[in-house]
Amino acid sequence: MIKNTLQTNDSAAPSMPVQPLTSEARPMQQQQRRNPPIAGELTAIANAQQGDGAAFEILYNMHKRRVYSLCLRMLGNVAEAEDLTQEAFLQLHRKIGTFRGDSAFSTWLHRMAVNVVLMHLRKKGLPLVSLEETLEPSQEDGPRKDFGTRDLRLSGSIDRVTLERAVEELPPGYRMVFVLHDVEGYEHNEIAGMLQCSIGNSKSQLHKARMRLRSLLKENAEGGTGA
Amino acid sequence: MTAEKSSTPVECEEFQQQLPEIFDSGVSIADHPHLKTCALCSSLVRDLEYIAAQAKLIMPIHDPSPAVWDNIQSALQQDGKQGKDRA
Ligand SMILES: [Zn+2]
Repeated sequence: MIKNTLQTNDSAAPSMPVQPLTSEARPMQQQQRRNPPIAGELTAIANAQQGDGAAFEILYNMHKRRVYSLCLRMLGNVAEAEDLTQEAFLQLHRKIGTFRGDSAFSTWLHRMAVNVVLMHLRKKGLPLVSLEETLEPSQEDGPRKDFGTRDLRLSGSIDRVTLERAVEELPPGYRMVFVLHDVEGYEHNEIAGMLQCSIGNSKSQLHKARMRLRSLLKENAEGGTGA
Repeated sequence: MTAEKSSTPVECEEFQQQLPEIFDSGVSIADHPHLKTCALCSSLVRDLEYIAAQAKLIMPIHDPSPAVWDNIQSALQQDGKQGKDRA
């Protein structure tokens, strides 16, 4: 099954409330896998909330890699990713007083970073979900595409670096949904809320992203000679 | 270019159009009747599941340049000064 259905573990998840802006909490284990608790984080948060600059720097160093990687994957551009990492942490500095610990701090921060990236893309006037990509299955990505292609099994044949490169080659609209759902672990209802599209759009966009990745990876596995 | 298995292209097309919903429904896709007879779609489903599984293993590996922290710091100092000026 592709759906992220990791079992929730109630004993490890003492009454985790729904995070702000989401209609459905992600399975706890998934959140913990993505956002494991970091030693010293709670103290640093408490001190940063009191205006302690050194504590804020500790938080930056704890989370800069995750936030920057997220920005980079969504944007595909180092300069923009650095700018928005900076913006996300400045926003964190302004808002850290409002963090009440009712969700994991990293979940809260990453959501803030996603919003910063989306806001940036909206300002640039880029459609977050391309309508023609979504509504009209193109020849390229339509269902019939698969007929007649050789059965080249992907399983076991790709490493993470190859996959990362292929993700970079996805069109922005596909990449966004793929990164949010398959890499970051957001649910379709959350993504639909963030991208202001329908849940069906999010699902179909994700599917097309995976289909495109499959073609890219197969081309790659065949030595770039094409199918 | 047609599927030479017992499934017809129309059945494959229908099945593939339903895939986004089936994947997200949480039901086990392996039990879908179409996959019992169609090697092409079975191979497609296997690949898509593999891609989704591999994506979960992509970890944050990139670090921002040190300039990012320098910029944050100077922006915060600027904010602090303005705050004091206003006070
Ligand atoms: Zn089929």
